[in-house]
Amino acid sequence: MRTMLKIENLTATVGEEDAAKTIINGLSLEVPKGEVHAIMGPNGAGKSTLSYVLTGRDGYEVTGGSAKLNGEDILDMDPEERAAKGLFLSFQYPVEIPGVPVMTFVRAAMNSQRKARGEDEISAPDFIKKSREIGKALKLDTEMLKRSLNVGFSGGEKKRLEIYQMMMLEPNFLILDETDSGLDIDALKTVADGVNAMRSPDRGMLVITHYQRLLDHIQPDKVHVLSKGRIVATGGPELAHRLEKEGYEGILGEVA
Amino acid sequence: MTTALRDMIANPTTAELELVARYGMQPEDSRRERLFEAFCRTGLPHRRLEAWKWTDFKAALQGLDRPSTSPAQDPIPHAGALVFRFTPNGYFPPDHIPDGLKVFEKDEAQALGAAEDVPLGALAASLSGGKARPATLLLEVTSKELPRLHFQFSGEGEANFARVVVMVRPDMALTVSESHLGGAGLTSSVIEFTLQKGSAVNRTVYQRGTPEEAIASTALVHLDSNSHFTQTSLAFGAKLARLETRVTHQEASAKATLNAAYLVGKDLHADFTTHVRHGANSCVTRQLTKGAVLNGGTGVFQGKFFVPRTAGQYTDADMQHKALLLEEGAVVFAKPELEIYADDVECAHGNTSGALDDDQLFYMRQRGLPEKTARALLTQAFVAEAFAEAGALEEVLRTEAEAWLAAA
Repeated sequence: MRTMLKIENLTATVGEEDAAKTIINGLSLEVPKGEVHAIMGPNGAGKSTLSYVLTGRDGYEVTGGSAKLNGEDILDMDPEERAAKGLFLSFQYPVEIPGVPVMTFVRAAMNSQRKARGEDEISAPDFIKKSREIGKALKLDTEMLKRSLNVGFSGGEKKRLEIYQMMMLEPNFLILDETDSGLDIDALKTVADGVNAMRSPDRGMLVITHYQRLLDHIQPDKVHVLSKGRIVATGGPELAHRLEKEGYEGILGEVA
Repeated sequence: MTTALRDMIANPTTAELELVARYGMQPEDSRRERLFEAFCRTGLPHRRLEAWKWTDFKAALQGLDRPSTSPAQDPIPHAGALVFRFTPNGYFPPDHIPDGLKVFEKDEAQALGAAEDVPLGALAASLSGGKARPATLLLEVTSKELPRLHFQFSGEGEANFARVVVMVRPDMALTVSESHLGGAGLTSSVIEFTLQKGSAVNRTVYQRGTPEEAIASTALVHLDSNSHFTQTSLAFGAKLARLETRVTHQEASAKATLNAAYLVGKDLHADFTTHVRHGANSCVTRQLTKGAVLNGGTGVFQGKFFVPRTAGQYTDADMQHKALLLEEGAVVFAKPELEIYADDVECAHGNTSGALDDDQLFYMRQRGLPEKTARALLTQAFVAEAFAEAGALEEVLRTEAEAWLAAA
């Protein structure tokens, strides 16, 4: 079976019971191993909600449907269990963690995941070697990696730190949530190079973006258009270009 | 005379009557009498006194009882330090006193300025002494190279009182640590620091107790020009634990750094109270207090900066108190106060209390950290900020905090 992520007829709400709002509304999607799929959509379509529902954030309630990673239903798992199964979310707004150095954090995360999978912890020298190599590729020096996670880092540095964590943790399925937001062209290229280096026949990716720009650097195999919590159009990379030209209104008017 | 003093205490409790009886057994001494009188004006401080509204010793101490629990272990290293131990029945100075430190073991009580403001300090000063214990331990520092001084207040009994006065001569420096470990129903110590011109003191205070012990530590700090006083405290609370520090900037360009953390579990209570008087121009105060409290625990922070109109120009002062309520049922009381009459000053304060940040927790869990680990790591990092100025003891405090969090 080549399908890695399989979402079927998913519905999810946000908010307290009486004020709960349906944001994901009958969404179905399959991402096979080795493929990169883009999800594009206007503001409020449910893009970030989808990433949070898939990764298990509190405050989002699944009211129907299913989501499976490598055949396993993930929706009942805690966020850390999903992470140990190889699911990684690159945050649109990476969170600052004062007092916890980047390397301390990533090593704790890596060893927690390994423990959950019944694997041995990584040795300190192996960890440092790996960190140094990946840091170099992403232009993150060791001094930066000793500082508190995301504290006092620029927008571009925070995104590079997300990619650093991704490359360190080697997840098998990646969700990139608006990874291009707040990046200048050079930073975008560094980040895209990092993501492209992660492409592999054993790995799937979901790239969530508002703009086509990122997809010039990370070529998707398929593009899905999300609107009002559902996939309303699917196509090849050319669909992203059409969206860029015609705008969401053009495409959405057509499918409506 | 004793009877007259006793009559000053309204509705005396058994504990207060026992304290009066203990006073009666001390040698006659007019300064001691004035100290005890200062205590008797309030008796054991209670909730109807503004400064004690959240930490009521009168209600907590029905009698002076010997706890069924043992004193806490001392995590502050004794090796390499000059250790002075105070127990309910004894006083144990170090074997050898190096050059640069003069030790005077006074049999007489010494006057205590503003004794009325610190009733438990006045109590400690009036009841220390007897049984081969100095009424006042006076230390004079004439060196920058002394080993760390360590004061340990610990030992089983009903009550333990001590008074220490430290004089640091101009341009000299001292590192000092204290452990308040309980063991007695009531432990109260008062320590005074006078930092003469250009001198520096780095003080670390560790407190740990059980729900059967009441512990009070009162510190009075006088800063001459260009002196620098740095303090780092870690308190785990007791039935009641009050760590009070009163700092007076009495000459220009002195600096005080007051950092503290309280980690309080069930049936425990930790109170950090500070009062800083900017009585001279261009003085600096930096204060950071962090707290983390579990269900059934109580943390108290009362901080005050006072800047009079006639002095205290160009004061630069910052007070921060941040508390984490780790569980439902945790209680934190906070009263930050700035009272400023001088017009050219920079004074800031911040005060927050709440739960751990959901965004941070989710981010960490998404990377694979179990919720408990994520919470512990966040809380550790939150608390550890308060230990940054503790020098060689930073690691000890950090380890103690981590062990507590791991068990929480």
